[in-house]
Amino acid sequence: MGSIAIIGGGPAGYVAAITAAQQGQEVTIIDQGPLGGTCLNEGCMPTKSLLESAEVYSQLYHANKFGIRLPSGQIEIDWNAVQDRKNRIVSTLVQGIQYLMKKNKVKVIKGAASFKTSQVLQVENSENQEEIKADKIIIAAGSEPAPLPFAPFDGHWVIHSGQAMSLQSIPSSLLIIGGGVIGCEFASVFSRMGTKVTMVEMADQLLPGEDEDIASILHKQLEKDGVAIYPSAALKDLEPTRKKAFIEDDKGLHEIQADLVLVSIGRKPRVDHLGLEVLGVDFSNQGIHVNNQMQTNIPTIYACGDVIGGIQLAHMAFHEGKVAALNACGIDSQAHASAVPRCIYTSPEIASVGLTEKQARETYGDIRIGEFPFSANGKALIANEQAGKVKVMIDPELGEILGISIVGAHATELIGQGAVMLHAELTADIMENFIAAHPTLSEAVHEALLSAVGHAVHV
Amino acid sequence: MSVEVVMPKLGMAMKEGTVSIWNKQVGDQVGKGEPIASVSSEKIEIDVESPAEGTLLEIAVPEGEGVPPGAVICYIGNPGEKMAPVNASVQTQEPKGDAESSVKEKPEMSKQVKTGGDRVKISPVARKMAEAGGINISEIQGTGPGGRITKEDVQESLKQSREQKAEEKERDKTALEPAEQAKEMKVSGIRKVIAGRMHDSLQQTAQLTMNMKVDVTELIALQKQTAKTVQNRYENKLTMTDFIARAVVLSLQQHPQMNSAYINETIHFFQHVHLGMAVAVDKGLVVPVIRHSEKCSLVELSRSIKTLAQKARVGQLSNEEMQGSTFTISNLGSYGVEHFTPILNPPESGILGVGAVYETPVFKGEELDKRSILPLSLTFDHRVLDGAPAAAFLQSVKQFLEEPVTMLL
Repeated sequence: MGSIAIIGGGPAGYVAAITAAQQGQEVTIIDQGPLGGTCLNEGCMPTKSLLESAEVYSQLYHANKFGIRLPSGQIEIDWNAVQDRKNRIVSTLVQGIQYLMKKNKVKVIKGAASFKTSQVLQVENSENQEEIKADKIIIAAGSEPAPLPFAPFDGHWVIHSGQAMSLQSIPSSLLIIGGGVIGCEFASVFSRMGTKVTMVEMADQLLPGEDEDIASILHKQLEKDGVAIYPSAALKDLEPTRKKAFIEDDKGLHEIQADLVLVSIGRKPRVDHLGLEVLGVDFSNQGIHVNNQMQTNIPTIYACGDVIGGIQLAHMAFHEGKVAALNACGIDSQAHASAVPRCIYTSPEIASVGLTEKQARETYGDIRIGEFPFSANGKALIANEQAGKVKVMIDPELGEILGISIVGAHATELIGQGAVMLHAELTADIMENFIAAHPTLSEAVHEALLSAVGHAVHV
Repeated sequence: MSVEVVMPKLGMAMKEGTVSIWNKQVGDQVGKGEPIASVSSEKIEIDVESPAEGTLLEIAVPEGEGVPPGAVICYIGNPGEKMAPVNASVQTQEPKGDAESSVKEKPEMSKQVKTGGDRVKISPVARKMAEAGGINISEIQGTGPGGRITKEDVQESLKQSREQKAEEKERDKTALEPAEQAKEMKVSGIRKVIAGRMHDSLQQTAQLTMNMKVDVTELIALQKQTAKTVQNRYENKLTMTDFIARAVVLSLQQHPQMNSAYINETIHFFQHVHLGMAVAVDKGLVVPVIRHSEKCSLVELSRSIKTLAQKARVGQLSNEEMQGSTFTISNLGSYGVEHFTPILNPPESGILGVGAVYETPVFKGEELDKRSILPLSLTFDHRVLDGAPAAAFLQSVKQFLEEPVTMLL
């Protein structure tokens, strides 16, 4: 039996641990904080809990549209209860991971790990320090919010996403620097809970990685919810004493008063303090360099998850963690990054898989686009969720489904079928005969495919 | 000690099998059940699977070379192991030379033989891409889950073939003027098998064809009359092909000389009728076999024909479903062909060519009547039987078809 040590208990680390344990390895996982990593403690799960509370509030606010009259002024947010609920969910899930570690006989050590040699780790915590020896070591140290170069996080006024989800109270005003996924999700939470939100994005649209038409639907909805959005704008200065920010766009300089400034300009891999330089592990600020098997330049050392950069999503980390562990156990396995769904939990939700329209045109030239609006879908109408659409990108030559983008209610669930189509490398002609249940939002996905081949029925 | 892999015996008349492709090279690691080579013989091409896990130690038969069944084609074992002695392993399974004795229906098959008709695991995008690029998918090694061929695999294969073509083009540039250039296709796989077998058939038998016209007016009337009942009762449709097959099976039982094989100076007469039905597929011609069709009712026969033809078209025929036929029917009626000269499918003694039904006025006494006529062409091996018994067989087929009620009895 061999031994494997894993630095980090987040999605990449704990999946690697379970995989290696299932292969009969003696596994140790080392983490400074609670198991579950960013995803469980400061990312995916807590933000989604807050978004759900915002969603319920927003639904009640619009209850009259469904024929339900609520006495005015009687709906209010109990912020402490919202936070409690979020914390309870997180704690349940962390316990779940602890149970999985126990069940798979994975040893968990609390502390900070750094390399002494390529097979020995030094682990330190407040109480003691010890050395862990292992045949193979997997680095799954994760990532952390990247700070602004001129305004580091102070935790009081300039905060990061981890802090934004545990605020004492709902801020009256919030300036969000960065209109990426994290910025948009927090804008969606707080604007619906009554905060005056302002967003600044350097690119000419929100969510620069996604297509403009998709992002613009979210843009409109956020504006409806009272968010002031400044695209193509740069943050010029922050004045902590007066809680003022100065931003500049082509119209000039704007002065913005904000209770809090949330900096969400990306996440940087945690490559420091691991002793990588000493060992000569290949890495840069973008992450640790690995091959397709998640192996670093040092054969006994593997890396996976956010720490290698690339697609920083928990489900990508699951996949990479599994691949790293299998290879560390001597079983050949290759990572692939095709058909990785991208989900944004705003209101409306955005989800996509494969190429965006822009990318598809760059690669394939003349492509076929199929679209179907939620406004023509019965189920969306019933749910009062007309804002949204499905867009599919098809290669006209082979009918290959190149990409699917969905904006609208439940987009993050709907994209699952798109991920299956791309993973199985299905073609549009096969999907033409697909039967979608009625009435469902899924019909919009099918209709978009039909419209791409010119046979849409309900539009 | 190392394990030897032998040339499988794929049919009782098989004298030689050819290794068309080695999927593995000497020194390669092979898993148990992994296809290590493709071999061709008769009308089929099949994969030979490794009987054991290990290293491919030696290749005894290079690509393109033919050897008798039972001959060792390669050795698998651990590096440095001794090879098994070659001569000890040759085993032949020639049928006994006694004309009276009934021939074993099916030769023993080596365990490592995998049917060539096995479904290729491939993604829809990859399949289309391969079709568009003219790549033979059976030659691609899949890297997806369970060996599934992915888009990436085809792209890699296309890249390799482009590079290869570019090299060849470079070489040929000086040889031919552009105006004279012809598209070349290396004869391989099923095409090579068909070429060899048809040539052998014409060279080694004494075959000739006789034609006969059959009045199927009554049969068509019967077909129409019973269509509804058959559809309701059996959820099936009886086609002209089904009736012809039935007439042939009944006639073969009355004329056993026609249901025979000429192998090594010996004529084998069969009691069973394994009826071969030639089917054109994309890659060439395959002949699925309806085993023991003498035991089938008309409806059962019809079902078997449809099932096997469908399997043939999608390339899912098993090895067993493609061998052992005792007589073959080849139908070109759908192309409007009338009479033609079908070529024997050795070692069989007969093959019936079916043409297109046409309508023509025929004298019935003094009256002209519109009749439906079916042209039939029978090719037979004169070494096995003479013109008169062959004609008697054909006449029997004609009688069944002209008095269709007799077929139902």
